[in-house]
Amino acid sequence: MARHISNGLKSVDRLKKNGSGGRELSLPYLLIAPTIAVLLALSIYPLIYSVKISLQTGSGQAARWTLANFARLANDKFFLEALVHTFIYAAVALTFEFLLGLGLAVLLDKPLRGRSLFRSALLIPMMLPPVVVGVVWRLMLNPDFGAVNGTLKGVGVNTEALTWTATPTLAFASVIAVDIWQWTPFMFLELLAGLQAIPQEPYEAAVIDGSSGWQTFRHVTLPLLKPAILIALLLRTMDLLRVFDQIFILTQGGPGFSTETVSLYIYRTAFRFSDFGYAAAMSFVLLLLTNLVSVGYIRMLQRQETA
Amino acid sequence: MSEPSHKAATMQTHTTQRGTSAARTRIAKLSKYVLLTLSVLLAVIPVYWMVTISFKSEVDQFAVPPRWFKFSPALTHYADAFVTRSFGQYLLTSVIVAGLSTICAVMLGTLAAYGLARFKLRGKLDQRLSMWILSTRMFPPIVSAVPLFLMMRDLRLLNTLTSLVIVYTALNLPFVVWMMRGFFRELPRELEEAAMVDGDSRLGALVRVILPLVTPGLAATAVFCLIVSWNEFLLALVLTQTDAAMTLPVGIAGRVTQYEIKWGVMSAAGVVAMIPILVFAMAVQRYLVRGLSLGAVKG
Repeated sequence: MARHISNGLKSVDRLKKNGSGGRELSLPYLLIAPTIAVLLALSIYPLIYSVKISLQTGSGQAARWTLANFARLANDKFFLEALVHTFIYAAVALTFEFLLGLGLAVLLDKPLRGRSLFRSALLIPMMLPPVVVGVVWRLMLNPDFGAVNGTLKGVGVNTEALTWTATPTLAFASVIAVDIWQWTPFMFLELLAGLQAIPQEPYEAAVIDGSSGWQTFRHVTLPLLKPAILIALLLRTMDLLRVFDQIFILTQGGPGFSTETVSLYIYRTAFRFSDFGYAAAMSFVLLLLTNLVSVGYIRMLQRQETA
Repeated sequence: MSEPSHKAATMQTHTTQRGTSAARTRIAKLSKYVLLTLSVLLAVIPVYWMVTISFKSEVDQFAVPPRWFKFSPALTHYADAFVTRSFGQYLLTSVIVAGLSTICAVMLGTLAAYGLARFKLRGKLDQRLSMWILSTRMFPPIVSAVPLFLMMRDLRLLNTLTSLVIVYTALNLPFVVWMMRGFFRELPRELEEAAMVDGDSRLGALVRVILPLVTPGLAATAVFCLIVSWNEFLLALVLTQTDAAMTLPVGIAGRVTQYEIKWGVMSAAGVVAMIPILVFAMAVQRYLVRGLSLGAVKG
């Protein structure tokens, strides 16, 4: 409080000296206003617009206010299936990405010849445009001339049944595998940064106590790494729940409905069937899910900011 | 097991194993290298495969077993994609949209970030606004895609570069604010205060004293914006459908989902879409962690 007042006095002094009275006081608002305006117009207004169309059927003059779009959600078994796909996709991909990423991070934590080269090369998949990742894996997984089946044939494996993106179960496994390929580097990078930020002292203490490598990892590294792990998991979960790009290129949700996620189903509803109201209603379910995760993330940030 | 006996036991194993420990560390190190090399190969080989397809004639493309190294490289697919077909146009659109939206987002966002980093507003408004700005970044793109499509249709801005520039500016703004706010906060307040005592205005101090000090961070932030705009797919897919307005990712996707796919053309376009991103990514390696967690984690 006292500091506030003295700060205030200081700035009043300075203002008198500069003779620019209200300018200094309104300056922060002037600086922030354009950004707020853009975000209101392009993030918040669209959201309100979405609420409106989700509560209407018909359009223009014939529009009627109704809850029909939300009632439909409960009985739409395709939507339910897309939700289930999204959850399985997110859970499986997150688990693998985390474990593999952690493993790679531990491997590169200690100084090692060629470390920065390894690090850079491992990051490549993550940096690629998702559409390019889709193209890369369409080429790899093509049953006729793809490198995967070609290589398997070369070593004498019968690849007739391995049609990858053309049979439901395999297609689902394939899109998850591609996600793991692209995003394990993200986990690796975040966790490596987390590991490097851990100070040396706890390790030295552990060595003096004679704890084994695994014990040190379990009781020293993991607890200290927890904030980094949480942040990486939260960020990744948010992205996994909204997955669209690679699946759109690889399978377009097919064959049948087998790789359709929520984002793809909303896209199809809005832009293939022009059912914008229903698409908007579904998008609020997705927004709610991501919000639960992002609230966790923002809480963590706030704790860090105040700490 | 009680603590002391546990400790004694480990000490004992230490002494008996001392002789073999050198060999063990060597094996550990070797297996480390083997694992890392395998991982790198897994990461890189699929990309390399696409690159080879872009240079291969059709005969080499469809050969079984796959030809990893032995093929006669040609640039025909690149000419086909960028001269005969419209990929040159898509490339230009991508460059313009990414460039303009980055400039807008960095300019607006940096000013806001400075305001939020340096001024304590009443009722913790500065912190609340920061969090609100961050939260707008968390919307899944499909949630905004539906209303943005309808809004742009009403404004007759579908299939224009303007719509993409506007939308990408808004997409990158929260990111710029958070990154730059972090960089500003790392500088001591005394810097501007000294300049202001010397008679500079607040904005003068910002331009002459502070901005030069955050230039590396500012550049990294701009590069991240370029990457995001360049890679963005869903919103571009929804907002642009004509050859004159679509970006490179949308152009590529349009060809991939057709029945008869020109694999060489696709790959050539993919390689061109990928190269600037890889160059950019190498340039901002130092800031990657920070950028990927929206400025929250100092890598």
